[in-house]
Amino acid sequence: MKKRRKANTAFRHTGAFWLFVLPSLGLFALFFLLPLVLSIWFSFTDFDGWKKMNFIGLQNYAKILTDSSFYLSLGRTFIYTIVNLPFKVAIPLLLAALVTSKKLKGNTAVRTMIYIPVLFSSLVAGITINWMFSQEYGLVNFLLEKMGMTPLEWSLNPTLATVVISIASNWVSAGYYMLLYVGGINNISKELYEAASIDGSGKAHTFFHITVPLLLPTTFIVLLLSTVNLLKEYALIQGITLGGPGTSTTYIVQYIFSQGFDQYKYGYASAAGVLVSIVFIIIAAIQFKMTKGGGEV
Amino acid sequence: MARLKRIAAGAFAAVMAAGLTACGSGSTGAAATDASGNVTPTTSKAITGKELSVMVSEMPSDTDALGNALSTWASESGNTIKYIVVSNDDMLTKFPAMAKNKDLPDLISTTGLHQLYPEEFVKPETFIDLSQFNDAALRSVGKAYASDEITGLPDQYTVTCMYYNADAFEAAGLSVPTADDPWTWDELYENAKTLQEKGGVKYGFAADVSRARYDILMYANGGSITEKNGDTIKVAVNSPQNVETLEKFVQANNEVMPKAIWAGGTTDNPVEYFKNGDVGILLSGSWNYNTFTTDITKFNFSVMTSPKGKVSQAAIVGGGALAVPKNGKQPQLAEQFLQWLYTKDHYSAFLQLDKGPSVMKNVSYDPGNEKATADYAVIQNEVNYVTDAFLADEAAGWRQYKDNEYRDALKQAVAGEVTAQQALDGFASELAESSKWAKAY
Repeated sequence: MKKRRKANTAFRHTGAFWLFVLPSLGLFALFFLLPLVLSIWFSFTDFDGWKKMNFIGLQNYAKILTDSSFYLSLGRTFIYTIVNLPFKVAIPLLLAALVTSKKLKGNTAVRTMIYIPVLFSSLVAGITINWMFSQEYGLVNFLLEKMGMTPLEWSLNPTLATVVISIASNWVSAGYYMLLYVGGINNISKELYEAASIDGSGKAHTFFHITVPLLLPTTFIVLLLSTVNLLKEYALIQGITLGGPGTSTTYIVQYIFSQGFDQYKYGYASAAGVLVSIVFIIIAAIQFKMTKGGGEV
Repeated sequence: MARLKRIAAGAFAAVMAAGLTACGSGSTGAAATDASGNVTPTTSKAITGKELSVMVSEMPSDTDALGNALSTWASESGNTIKYIVVSNDDMLTKFPAMAKNKDLPDLISTTGLHQLYPEEFVKPETFIDLSQFNDAALRSVGKAYASDEITGLPDQYTVTCMYYNADAFEAAGLSVPTADDPWTWDELYENAKTLQEKGGVKYGFAADVSRARYDILMYANGGSITEKNGDTIKVAVNSPQNVETLEKFVQANNEVMPKAIWAGGTTDNPVEYFKNGDVGILLSGSWNYNTFTTDITKFNFSVMTSPKGKVSQAAIVGGGALAVPKNGKQPQLAEQFLQWLYTKDHYSAFLQLDKGPSVMKNVSYDPGNEKATADYAVIQNEVNYVTDAFLADEAAGWRQYKDNEYRDALKQAVAGEVTAQQALDGFASELAESSKWAKAY
């Protein structure tokens, strides 16, 4: 009798578990697993998005691996990611330190202002930044001219164009990562700071030797999310440079999108997507391994 | 093979459509033009009390020619209109999905869906007399890419157009070229420099970022995208004359044009530059004329004849068509609207708002004032400079294989990433691979 009751309880537990998990699992399967499986299947076909879908084996993969545009856009994406990663970590960390400081007045207002760009759609943020940095009629060049300086060729110089995208990317993401760091800072025991103060540790020394090391788990999350988001940067670029000048800001997602939706090579684009996903997973795994999942380093 | 399948499917669909039309409700049928130029379809009674769904690229304003025509027809016929707004770029991706889901509108105002997917549309000759249309308009705007079938009825017909800042010309002491005495392209580039130096404009010349603008330079110099010999088509986009044309265009971008536009690092529109008075000469579409008359207030503008290349002057025509999806819910209702629109009175009213060249033989636009009449005469005359090479390229249907890639190759050359030769060689290889046509150069 006791055994039967125990079994019933266990069943109820399992049932409740699945009941709670099912909605998420259903959505996850519908919007993630199913497209993933379809994408992998398409990558072995010449699917044109509508009428043509013949199995062609590994032809798409073979073609991608000999396509110089694929390597060029992937290379550009890596450079863009590597250059931007330090800013993605440092800026939110400093902002978090600032907004958690007791010396700052209007703390909530500052946090809100920093967070507002996170609420913008990437495309809107891109268009806003474009308005500021437009070579011809942009606010920044207007101010430079007013100050007697030469307007900068934001749209013609590949480095400047990349800088503008980077500014935009950091602007729209800093608020979100800042909140993660604020949570991390608030979780650090106050006693540690008091002990450090008694030992005569200065502000900067305390920040670099207590705050930063204890925020490593948060930094791992910020690094991981930033890396993934930088690698798949798309909407911002469409709003700012459209991948130009030339192809200098055409990153891997633009390349895949163009193959799929401009050229109707859905099969080819799917194969590129699968390859790029594998590369991204490897990068995330390396990060995970190196930082021990954000645990002890 | 896939292409063959597609053509076979199209032919099958056409046969089926003809059969269905013949066996259908009888609301459509052959059409004839009467003595006054009005088309009288041999149809049964008009449909009324229905909702016509129309897919358009942007919500029509009160002064929009098509929007006005639809509203007038709706109130006269006792039907209503429902707009489905999808941008032209999005139409290309959404139409296949809508067709697959059998969720097509009754009528589509499109710049190319009927040309890409001819088998999906009703053949207009089944319900309207095509002889009343301008042949070049039908062939360039209404015809499918891969066959000679007319699958859409041109409504908005545009031609490449050279706008100029009349005040800047006066300040620079430049006289306006005429159809009898046009500039050469070299002269245009030189005069653009003069405009920058003396005309008070920042850039002497600007052009929309579109191959439909750039290509008039190519055709004027005797170039083409493809070459046809009998039934054989070859890719000729990297011919020596095309390379030379692109090299000069790159140089012009460095000297007299807003380079960022064609280098592709900005979303700026050169039309806005012209409207702001920063550009002396603008190569754009004739459809802009209407907007310019209201938007340009700071200076006087006008239109001039296109420059001559090494071979001839050149113009590209294009525009929008109205097409009836075969699998829409009410194709007969859309046909009824089109039969109404393409009558002399109704299309004349359409043109008065559209302010573009006419697609119908017996209808013309009356601008109503002297300046606009003179400008309109120049625009209408540009239609005569459509080259055989352009029509042959259109007939070859190269754009169904590659389109934006061509513009991107031109951008790369302007940005200095590759030379003109490399840009065109690269695109020629891509086009040859996709189309299975051999390269001529």
